Amino acid sequence: MASALKLVGIRKSFDGALALDGASFESRAGEVHALLGENGAGKSSLMNVAAGLYAPDAGSISIDGVPIALSGPAAARQHGIGMVHQHFKLVKPFTVAENVLLANPRPHFASGIRNIRAAIEKQVGELKFSIDPDRRIETMTVAEQQQVEIVKVLVGGAKILILDEPTAVLTDAEAVGLLEIVQRLARSGTAVVLVTHKLQDVKRFADAVTIMRGGKTVATLDPRKSSAEELTELTVGQTLPLPVRTPHQGGPTKLNVGALCYTRGDGRTMLNNTSFHIRAGEIYGIAGVSGNGQAELAEALIGAIEPSSGEIWLDGTGDISRASQAKRREAAIAAIPADRYTYALAGSLPISDNLAVAQIRSGRYGGLIKLDRAAMRRDAATAVKDYDVQGVRSVGQKASLLSGGNAQKLVIAREFSRQPQVVVAHSPSRGLDARACAAVHQRLIAARERGAAIVLISEDLDEVLSLSDRIGVMSRGAIVGEFERPADRQAIGRAMVDHG
Amino acid sequence: MNLGDFLINWIANAPVTAVPYALAALGLIVAERSGVLNLTAEGLMLIGALAGAGTSLLFVGHPAVALLAAMAAASVVSLLFAVLVVVLRINQVIAGLSVVFFCQGLTGLIGTLAKWQNKQLSGLAPLKIWPLSEIPIIGRIFFMQDPVVYLTILIFIAVNFLLFKTMLGLRIRAVGENPGAADAAGVSITLHRILAIVAGSSLIGLAGGYISVVSVKLWVTGMTGGRGWIAVALVVFARWAPWPALAGALLFGCIEALIPHVAAAGIQVPQYLMLMTPYLATIAVMIWVGAKDSRGSQEPGALGQPHVREERR
Amino acid sequence: MISPAPAASRGLGRLTLDVRQDLSPWKQTAFVGSSLVFGLAISLAILAAAGIPPLTLASELAAVLTAENLRGVLVQAAPLILVGLGASLAFRIGFWNLGIEGQMIFGGIFAAAISIYDVGPQATRLLLMGSAAALGGALWVLLVVFLKRRFRVNEIIATLLLNYVAMYFLFHLLYGAWQDAKTAFPQSSPLRPFERLGDIGYGINSGLLIAIAGVLAAGWLIHLSRIGFYTRFISANPRMAKIVGVPVQAATLWIIAASGACSGLAGFVNVASQEGRLTQSYANGYVFSGVLIAFLSRNDPVVVAVVGFLIAVLFITGQTLQVFYQIPLTMVQMIEAIIVMAVASSEFLIRHRIRWLR
Repeated sequence: MASALKLVGIRKSFDGALALDGASFESRAGEVHALLGENGAGKSSLMNVAAGLYAPDAGSISIDGVPIALSGPAAARQHGIGMVHQHFKLVKPFTVAENVLLANPRPHFASGIRNIRAAIEKQVGELKFSIDPDRRIETMTVAEQQQVEIVKVLVGGAKILILDEPTAVLTDAEAVGLLEIVQRLARSGTAVVLVTHKLQDVKRFADAVTIMRGGKTVATLDPRKSSAEELTELTVGQTLPLPVRTPHQGGPTKLNVGALCYTRGDGRTMLNNTSFHIRAGEIYGIAGVSGNGQAELAEALIGAIEPSSGEIWLDGTGDISRASQAKRREAAIAAIPADRYTYALAGSLPISDNLAVAQIRSGRYGGLIKLDRAAMRRDAATAVKDYDVQGVRSVGQKASLLSGGNAQKLVIAREFSRQPQVVVAHSPSRGLDARACAAVHQRLIAARERGAAIVLISEDLDEVLSLSDRIGVMSRGAIVGEFERPADRQAIGRAMVDHG
Repeated sequence: MNLGDFLINWIANAPVTAVPYALAALGLIVAERSGVLNLTAEGLMLIGALAGAGTSLLFVGHPAVALLAAMAAASVVSLLFAVLVVVLRINQVIAGLSVVFFCQGLTGLIGTLAKWQNKQLSGLAPLKIWPLSEIPIIGRIFFMQDPVVYLTILIFIAVNFLLFKTMLGLRIRAVGENPGAADAAGVSITLHRILAIVAGSSLIGLAGGYISVVSVKLWVTGMTGGRGWIAVALVVFARWAPWPALAGALLFGCIEALIPHVAAAGIQVPQYLMLMTPYLATIAVMIWVGAKDSRGSQEPGALGQPHVREERR
Repeated sequence: MISPAPAASRGLGRLTLDVRQDLSPWKQTAFVGSSLVFGLAISLAILAAAGIPPLTLASELAAVLTAENLRGVLVQAAPLILVGLGASLAFRIGFWNLGIEGQMIFGGIFAAAISIYDVGPQATRLLLMGSAAALGGALWVLLVVFLKRRFRVNEIIATLLLNYVAMYFLFHLLYGAWQDAKTAFPQSSPLRPFERLGDIGYGINSGLLIAIAGVLAAGWLIHLSRIGFYTRFISANPRMAKIVGVPVQAATLWIIAASGACSGLAGFVNVASQEGRLTQSYANGYVFSGVLIAFLSRNDPVVVAVVGFLIAVLFITGQTLQVFYQIPLTMVQMIEAIIVMAVASSEFLIRHRIRWLR
């Protein structure tokens, strides 16, 4: 079959940092072509070039064998390229029809809406989706919003459909349903590009796979003829052993979360009687489909939000659900939030300040009158060395200049500097490469060996399975099932879906 | 003077004091719907007021020409703001304040050098909608206003239609709510934001021109006296929707119109404390909005944020 | 359904914009410097159009910088430095304090009240007036903090509107209870000699000492103290600051109170040195001067002193032009605005990288 979309030698840098380093990619009509790679490998950047959002520094793009230049997203659309972004490009207060109309303009609004509504209903019927053109996006679930994105692209008559991590926000069952539809679309002549980091999706649904690592495309293979080990090695570059762990001892209860409730500003109940307990020297994993209250649970535990009812009881301290941050710090709770630059780091401030800030109150760096800057810098230099933070020219440089993995090490260095009793880690390896990820996991295991109680909240089921002593499954704001190690993956998957 | 006359005089004057608030707030809504935090009203109203007064004095023509000049002048100056915030992406608060103080300085300078201060202007005769104007009380209040009062209502209908029932309006609102989505849909953020600022500013200019040409019939340095800031507050009060802004403008029009009538009616209230009322009322309204509204404020999602497509996240 | 593809626009190229993380301080200075020159050039052009050719301006400027006029510049520098401190303290924690004029007015009113009601012995009268002024300014801005925290009232609008309220309250006093019976002008009776900020020798007014003390105190607060360390996190990432245990609410409150106190002191300095009594206009034109000085000094108290002095030169030159060439004083405001716009624009080049890709 002839090539539909062909990218050759694409280079792209942001602020001098190379994101794509001569990447090439070719997909055919009638095929599902997977683009596999770790977070930060450059998959999304490459596809953003194809969708006309990013202008490449070098390289060529051709459609159906004809070289083209894309002046922007509108030009890409006219060439039949449609992309469903990982972070949906939907206007929340608009209706479905208005969003589709925005991306597929018609000369007049009123007749355009009528025309678009008919087109949506046609696509919805063909794909067996269930979306109402007149509903507003902000009232829809993530899975429904994704359907809107796909319909939006297909109404535009896309011949090349790019899906960026489409299953990341779906349950296993929803993901299979979606990928079957996508496969059907390909069979009817569409060239589908499936950007993913999930090996099982590739093995099961892709006709071809291209693997990216460090901004380069390293191989294109037939996934049915390659082993999982082969694909993993190409993706990761090297395989790292899991750290050694001693069997769980079962210490006294360290943290007890009782009937925690939280209702968001927009009226949605995110935590609905969440209850669980953790013992000392234990890693308690919380699994679940994204958006079922994990983020709010993490925020309540680290004190970013105040629960509307319920308690967070800490051994030796009492209920801390409404305690001041100072009291939480005293109780030695370490926070490793999912979004580093929201809750953990001030990117525009120096590394040394970011490390010192948690201990200013303790008086370690001087009193109210004068702070000891030299001591901060000394301690920072030690921490950077101890925690193997790479890419530090000086501890006075801005924290935002660090890569994701090294920024995460910085957070851990600060949070672990006081021998924490409780660690709250939310997606601690998100966006990290294999090496940094292994280092983070090692730190969590080490804290466990020291006797800390660790809450590991992650949407990555593999991470939860490999690290946890016990696993709670979270659905609709509550823990709906608990599993002891070694846990059954299928059973956990069912628990995630049954209540979701 | 009896109470009835007092009330009729007061209410009949309210539309004239309400028009500047209404038009300025509407102009701000158009710009802010595109995601640009617009604090320039106080300055652009001065530009409109000066341009209107100057045109009236230089070319003794129809006041309509003066009002058109006011709109054009404010639009031209707003281009400066548009370039600063949309193209150069500088902090929208700093840019807005700078434009206001630039306009205050510029209008003071030109008004003084051209000797336009305190010169009587001809004004605009009220439009009697006969025979409705002959109805007692109601005729006086609703059907004997100047043409701009009626025009303002038409402008509100037109802008409301434009924002919510046209492709252009859809694109402007999309740019203001989620520029990333609009961009991916092929909508030019730069173009639509500049357009919204310039078009909205023409209404702000009209509001200013109306004050000098129709309402006060004079040019005095700094004559808008904080009405632009009140218009900014009105936009928050109206939750970025045109019709509530019109209602809010009427409320402030009534408050402002009351001030001279209280004195004229011989009621003893300390004059300068009375002059505080529009500002205190604005703060009271803001408190009311904040106390009532525990959920999202419905402000455009990207208000105040410059957009850069190729930002690495 | 799909429209025919347009002819590929090959060779046209595309303009792209990246967000830059870092730029050498040397280049930053060069960008800021050249934009400052650009802004001043535009200002000169406007002045020339208004009838002040550059040469005339140069000779007026030279006259301002002579020893005797420099005294006036230093007197003018004191309130400007203080409002610059007030603005920069508030901006440091992301609070848009645009109520500087209102705070100056209440500073002046509080100080004058001490004089009018004859509070305290003569020896401590000035100290008492200064403290009252700082308190007045702080209370006026804390009112806005209350409105913001309790009712989520936007501080930009609230501080600006309260300027008008303060102004009319001042008028209410000056046309009423506090009017000087002897002159019947809208101003209070003159302050007594021991209530005036006098010269301390070398032609330097003691108001300047207050400003310098303010610079030192603010410099210590920002650069050395614990609260200053906190402010950096509050402005860089308030949510993160709260999580890592920074007392965000308390630190914010103290900094904003200090900001209002500085503005209140500026009002006191103007009343007790230049004017010698409460007048209608002692706070006019200071809001934007404060914004400008804070902005140009990047909210650094020590730099505020230098920039404040330069803006004082601009003020005094503006007054000269007003007296001899009938150029209204609002011209000063216009030049200030042009400078801010020019320098802010240079931030664009500092923060973004523009490339033309083919």
